[in-house]
Amino acid sequence: MVRTPRIVVADSDRALLEMLQIRLDLAGYETLVVRTGRAALDLVKVARPSVLIAEVQLPELDGFGLLEELRLSRDLDNCQVMMMARRLAPEDVRRAAVLGVKTCVAKPFSGADMLDRVAKLSNRSAPAPKAVVWV
Amino acid sequence: MSAGLTNWEGRVGAIALEQTAPPGYGVVLEALAGEIELAGARCILLDSLIGGVMPDLPEAACERLQASLQAIDLLSQHLAGLSAFARRLGMETEDTCEAPVALALQDVTLGALADRLLTALGSESQGVEERDQAGDLDLF
Repeated sequence: MVRTPRIVVADSDRALLEMLQIRLDLAGYETLVVRTGRAALDLVKVARPSVLIAEVQLPELDGFGLLEELRLSRDLDNCQVMMMARRLAPEDVRRAAVLGVKTCVAKPFSGADMLDRVAKLSNRSAPAPKAVVWV
Repeated sequence: MSAGLTNWEGRVGAIALEQTAPPGYGVVLEALAGEIELAGARCILLDSLIGGVMPDLPEAACERLQASLQAIDLLSQHLAGLSAFARRLGMETEDTCEAPVALALQDVTLGALADRLLTALGSESQGVEERDQAGDLDLF
């Protein structure tokens, strides 16, 4: 049986978290959301997601600190990582690359755009545009 | 703003924004875009839920629901367009001009929405969650 890809999203923005949870769940992913870096650290160790999407500026433990700890404990060995930020300086992009981040996404973005990016990251075909089922 | 206001319980936006500098227009537009995007996602969820139960319903009921589904689909596309518009406008707008959002936030009667906007605009959350104290604040 094919396992449903599990995604952990870490961001302090509640609107963004709910929007991503709805869009990703409907696209067939199992989506878990957290609001702090510390909560993300605990969750990733237990949930073992195939994709981690983390904001750089997380409360308690920022996105880079989160990735450093998870890399050290080897909890990201089978996980693709995407970072989100409103602005990323060139040194931040380099630091992200060193930590194994595959994609950096500039905020703001649309739900449809994020679905495409997640599909590419998790090697799935992008979900078809939502269509109404006419009975 | 809002000096002398009484019985202000629940008016989270007004209270907290008095303590912080007004945000720039770019930040406000991006926060709006995010909320519109969330509303659009909720429409898609509703569409999916209704579509999911339709096969189990009698034919007459399905026919009545079809018009609703068309309206939801149109609303979803409407919101996607508005969100894209606000998002692009926010990206193209300098943050040097401050937006006087405090009074506008007082008109947001849904507590959870007001609290999310408050946070997105740079103030501390008042801890109002959906399904918590999230209803119309005028009812308090």
